[in-house]
Amino acid sequence: MARPLWSGSLSFGLVNVPVALFSATRDRDVHFQLLHAPDCSPIETRRVCAAEEKPVPWPEIARGYELEDGEWVLLTDEDLQAAAPRQSRTIDIERFVEVAEIDPVYFDRSYLLVPPDEGAARAYALLSETMRDSHRAALGRFVMRAKERLVAIRVRDGALTLTTMLFGDEVRSAAEIAAEIDGAKPTREQVESAVAVIEELGVEFDPTLYRDEHRAHLKRIIKRKQQGKKIAAAPVAATAAEPQVTSAPDLMGALEESLARIRGETAAGTSKTGKNSRPAKKAPPKKKAPKTTQRA
Amino acid sequence: MPRSLWNGTIAFGMVRVPVKLYSATESKAVRFRERHSVDGAAIEHRRVCVQEGKEIPYGETVKGFEVSSGSYVTLSREEIATADGPGAHMIEIEHFAQRTEIDPVFYERAYRLGPGKLGDDSYLLLHAALKRSDRVGIGRFVFHNKAHLVALRALDEVIALHTMRFADELVPAGDLDIPTPQRKPSKLEVSAAQALVEQLSSSFRPDEYEDTYREALLELIERKSRGETIAAPEPVQIAPEDDLLEALRASLAGKGKASGPPSSPRGKAPSSRAKAKKPKPAPGQSGAPKKVAPGSSRSSSSSGSRRSAKPAGSSR
Repeated sequence: MARPLWSGSLSFGLVNVPVALFSATRDRDVHFQLLHAPDCSPIETRRVCAAEEKPVPWPEIARGYELEDGEWVLLTDEDLQAAAPRQSRTIDIERFVEVAEIDPVYFDRSYLLVPPDEGAARAYALLSETMRDSHRAALGRFVMRAKERLVAIRVRDGALTLTTMLFGDEVRSAAEIAAEIDGAKPTREQVESAVAVIEELGVEFDPTLYRDEHRAHLKRIIKRKQQGKKIAAAPVAATAAEPQVTSAPDLMGALEESLARIRGETAAGTSKTGKNSRPAKKAPPKKKAPKTTQRA
Repeated sequence: MPRSLWNGTIAFGMVRVPVKLYSATESKAVRFRERHSVDGAAIEHRRVCVQEGKEIPYGETVKGFEVSSGSYVTLSREEIATADGPGAHMIEIEHFAQRTEIDPVFYERAYRLGPGKLGDDSYLLLHAALKRSDRVGIGRFVFHNKAHLVALRALDEVIALHTMRFADELVPAGDLDIPTPQRKPSKLEVSAAQALVEQLSSSFRPDEYEDTYREALLELIERKSRGETIAAPEPVQIAPEDDLLEALRASLAGKGKASGPPSSPRGKAPSSRAKAKKPKPAPGQSGAPKKVAPGSSRSSSSSGSRRSAKPAGSSR
């Protein structure tokens, strides 16, 4: 098994659950190496001491913090731990909250917690069994990589899953953006039609419905290039950055056309929503027959 | 007004909503830069051609995909951009789901959308419909040559956008070996643990959590700047309990933690570093050892790239 990114223990009341932390996500991106254009040889990044003009080996790299007078304070890993020795080794569960209460804006990265050995398996099983059927997450905090993280822990697929969260002051206010919005309040009819479109496209969230086509496309491009084929420039439509707009007089027509198209597709059995589509339960009764307005 | 990061269009059925993307978050972590521990000088990151051993300007670089060891297919930035497709400027809302159906592991980064040029009316309509239906729009968009699954929802007066991970980017829990205990937790233990969960349950109030480590770290930096030596931390001993039930019962009885910090929520203790030297906004100004060479500032490092060079070392 890979090396854990962090190991320590979860403290739940007086119960300690030793855990090792692994990433819950994996990188599937297509990665490129930077090459030197004329000879196509790899380029590597070297760390060089600015004063001595010579390469610096990794053990001689320190973390520096600049004070306002321009002086630098260098910190070691031990210093970082000394700032909060306990939080560097334990995740103290402070409370439990409903998962749905946490706004997704706070979620950052996710990890899986695993008992490091059989001795820890029982306490781990106790906590995961206790939390398995609840909609609650345990909130706590710990220090990893010189940063304190607020975390939410819950059970997913039988494993304790930890998601790091941002602190309240790391979330920006949207007030400035909201203040700039200067449009007409939509009419009731428009909102009802828009909600009807939403209901028609309503599904139960199924992540397997969505594939990263960009990644697949990039792999095809690499393959074509490898075979010596030319890569055609992106079509104009894709490169044109000019955003499109449906302006106010056309909104109702566009909504009605949307409904007609979606319902037409559903009726013809070529629903975009696939097996997960389900009839809209709460679609508001239509006040008039859907009519496709032809817009010039 | 913050600067927008991306301009594009949301396709909601046949309705086109021009939008601008803004970041919703900013890290407040204490930032470090790499320094040479021997002489305290700045560390510069230089792009060096392995073959010639000399520094290469960015303009002479090209991106290569390694098809087999040492053999690369090179692609120009324009060729890479052809993979973007229409998603580079368009987010088509494919479905609408309930927010509670989306597990937190999917969320990546949070952004806010504002209306783009002439888009205020359609923006307000989409916002109103998302709010009324209490649903989240699911679509895909391409940002910085990478596709993301996205969730769009009404948040207060604006539309929030969350980038999400694709299903195949998640590690199945089954991939990790979770040992099964020889003896399962008893019903009594589980119910005592559930009682403890109940006792510790409350509602989530994000304002109650402050980054206390940030303060502790800045204090430690100040002490070190005065020449104090920092004692190595005592190793924290953690042993699993033999008697889980006893530990649970003691917890329920409010015996507190054996060696814990003051329990949560932490009050707003007056900061003891009120007189501490404040961090400077930008490094490399007068008084600092040598300035980072122009063009290499992007690669000069914070703790982030320290991680990438040495993945598992820095936390222990």
